[in-house]
Amino acid sequence: MLVSKTPRIRHHGKLEMVFEPRRGYTRMPHVFQQPPLKASRELYQGDDPTATVYVMESSGGMVAGDRNDITIELLPGSSARIIQQSALKVYRSHTGDTCVQTIDVKLAEEARLEWMPEVIIPFAEAKFQMETTIHLANNATLLWGEIIAPGREMRGEVFDFTSLKSKMKIYVEGELIAFDSLHFIPENMNFQELGMLEDALYVGSIWLVSDKADRLDLREIQEELNVGEGLRAGVTRLAGNAVHCRFLGVNQWRLMQEMKRVFSKLSALI
Amino acid sequence: MKQLKDGSNNLSNTVAIPTDIQFLRLLQIHDSAFPIGTYTQSYGMETYIQEDDIRKKEELIAFCTTFLHQNLVYGDAILIQEAFEAAKNRDIDRLLHLEELCGAIKLAKESRDASVNLGRQFIKTVAPLVEDAFFDEWKSRIGANEIKGHYAILYGIYCSVNGVDAHHAVLSYLFSSVNGLVQNAVRAVPFGQNTGVQAMHQLSEEVVAAASIVAGLSEEDISNNALGIELASMKHEYLFSRLFIS
Repeated sequence: MLVSKTPRIRHHGKLEMVFEPRRGYTRMPHVFQQPPLKASRELYQGDDPTATVYVMESSGGMVAGDRNDITIELLPGSSARIIQQSALKVYRSHTGDTCVQTIDVKLAEEARLEWMPEVIIPFAEAKFQMETTIHLANNATLLWGEIIAPGREMRGEVFDFTSLKSKMKIYVEGELIAFDSLHFIPENMNFQELGMLEDALYVGSIWLVSDKADRLDLREIQEELNVGEGLRAGVTRLAGNAVHCRFLGVNQWRLMQEMKRVFSKLSALI
Repeated sequence: MKQLKDGSNNLSNTVAIPTDIQFLRLLQIHDSAFPIGTYTQSYGMETYIQEDDIRKKEELIAFCTTFLHQNLVYGDAILIQEAFEAAKNRDIDRLLHLEELCGAIKLAKESRDASVNLGRQFIKTVAPLVEDAFFDEWKSRIGANEIKGHYAILYGIYCSVNGVDAHHAVLSYLFSSVNGLVQNAVRAVPFGQNTGVQAMHQLSEEVVAAASIVAGLSEEDISNNALGIELASMKHEYLFSRLFIS
């Protein structure tokens, strides 16, 4: 087998986005992008001042030791919706190096951010670490979603990755109100065990922070959840006007459909 | 297992075998009759019981093993160990950080509330028995609502100021947490007393293994992979009839 002597140059994607309100609409006057990360220009739906921006990963996926750093800042009163163009694929770590993704978000007063859930797919023997840190000022609004796949399930690749570490921290006015830390090492874990994922393969999370959170009837939301047939879900109240929903699903499509429904419903309520 | 990071965490360096009185004090605070309300908490287990997923001794053991190894070891146990160390160094800032972390990792509201309720009951019960200025200071912060008073942090401080070593503090905490669950399952499923005794006998070995894992961990390792239990804990809030408050 031929082995290239020159080490592959690692990708270090960077994306910095700053949003602010200008003449009635939220604009993105500052954006810095370093390949393979790229952002679309702002898009608008009718009179809605919310800027919708697509985030793209032009390399097609992360490979051993690649790094993506995303920072998002919303200045007071701005409103943005960010959509990932496709699932994030993390390839096999042939060198043993870990792929790292960091997302740092800062929301100023009265700012509002929605980050639509997309799937993270760690391939067989992938090593991935992601850290998302979100700081909210008073009266800021956040709706955030993410989905972790067990691998390329359609190819029979289920929990064949080497390691996946995910840390999600949400601070409101400097106080840490939620810290979700997963550390999956399939080799050392039995995901089917009672209390673990059991029959589920996909893990979905929605995070909401809003002044209006205390008015949400969580029992009603819980009872409306379209669960069963391989999907389990729950909703709970976090400290500081925040709500968390967790979804554990056997089937990706079914989990995504239900998460999208809950996401839109919550978006309309806050 | 991870490399042990710190000589002070290394069991082979642990010379502190609890004195007779320290040993008895630990037995007393971990007695199921100690009035901090352990018997009212199921941490999501009741959801499993109602969904008919814990009917046999093996299922109870499986549930408790997951709770022990994937939740307690990488959550409360690390925090106890860190709080113990911070209390030894009289490091209030560090303890405040750990206190915040303890609440933040408990995503399910009822589990977070349980941690605070146990803490508040614990301090009420032990305060008259502890003479220590540092412990009193922490207590006054709870009284002033400056902090919530999470049980794991309080317990770490309590053990530290009473000279119990970190290893036995963690070991006995893990034992009593799992034992509390087993006792509650005996009443709720219900199981015969002997089934509970046998389950706990078997789980004790897991507790010993768990405690030695904790010794090599630190704040960086905090995680919760017991997502089934966490989800059950979230859903528990909405069950129609409940024996337990979490």
